Amino acid sequence: MAKGQYLGEFEHVVLLTVLRLGDGAHGALIRREIESVTGRSPAIGAVHATLDRLERKGFVSSWIGEPSPERGGKAKRHFKLEGAGVAALKDARSTLERLHAGLSFRERFA
Amino acid sequence: MNAPIVARMLVAAFAPAADVDAIAGDMQEEYVAIVAAEGRLRGDLWFWSQALTSIPALLSYSRRRAPFAARLTTGFVALGVLIAMLAAKDGLDRVIDAIHPASMPASLYFTLDWSVAFVFGGLLALLAGHHPVRLALFAASALVAAFAAPDVLALSPSLSLPALVLLLGVVPSMTGGAAAFQAIRHR
Repeated sequence: MAKGQYLGEFEHVVLLTVLRLGDGAHGALIRREIESVTGRSPAIGAVHATLDRLERKGFVSSWIGEPSPERGGKAKRHFKLEGAGVAALKDARSTLERLHAGLSFRERFA
Repeated sequence: MNAPIVARMLVAAFAPAADVDAIAGDMQEEYVAIVAAEGRLRGDLWFWSQALTSIPALLSYSRRRAPFAARLTTGFVALGVLIAMLAAKDGLDRVIDAIHPASMPASLYFTLDWSVAFVFGGLLALLAGHHPVRLALFAASALVAAFAAPDVLALSPSLSLPALVLLLGVVPSMTGGAAAFQAIRHR
């Protein structure tokens, strides 16, 4: 994987969440899913800034939806995982698995 | 049901122009759900905490979105407006001194100087493209820091309390001018 294409920790969390939610997820839904799964409550600004970075890397794509009254007449930005994003997630997972292979936490920290 | 207006203005001031609607809409959507489930106070607290904790991320996000040339131009515009504001303030002070030397109440200077800052905040909003309120906030804060720096560095304050109040009042006045201009333009 080229330099600059690696996933940061929060990028990894956001990308996995987009994958969990499927095509069309938007910022508020992604933020709530991260909160319910990880227990941490990220700022919506941080979620959008990260999604923008992921889009620049080609890992996700986005489109603007229709405005709705419950959002104060503001439109949603929907996100979709791209092939490069799937490849980045697979790569990150195999890296972590290689690093974990053969480690025994019980022996080391007993 | 609307979220606290100042917090909404903060988000609008710091979010990149291309994404401001999506971010504001996401916050509004969650705010409405929280108010319905847990009440207005809880919703307001949530909205404020989201707005404040989003600022650092939104700052770097906006910077990434704006081309360098646009940022440089905006910087020069802000600098020009600050210089013109100082010249206008100086000119007004001279006029007052010439009319009524040494007998003018301090409140007149306060009102005039803050009015000048308000008007030039509006001028900055007229000239700047995106984020005029944030720009006015930064520009006024930089001006105050530049004037207060000698006192802080020398650790022996030479600014009197009224002068310090006068100086600090420039930040809300200039930011308020920019916000008022922006509100009028978007009506």
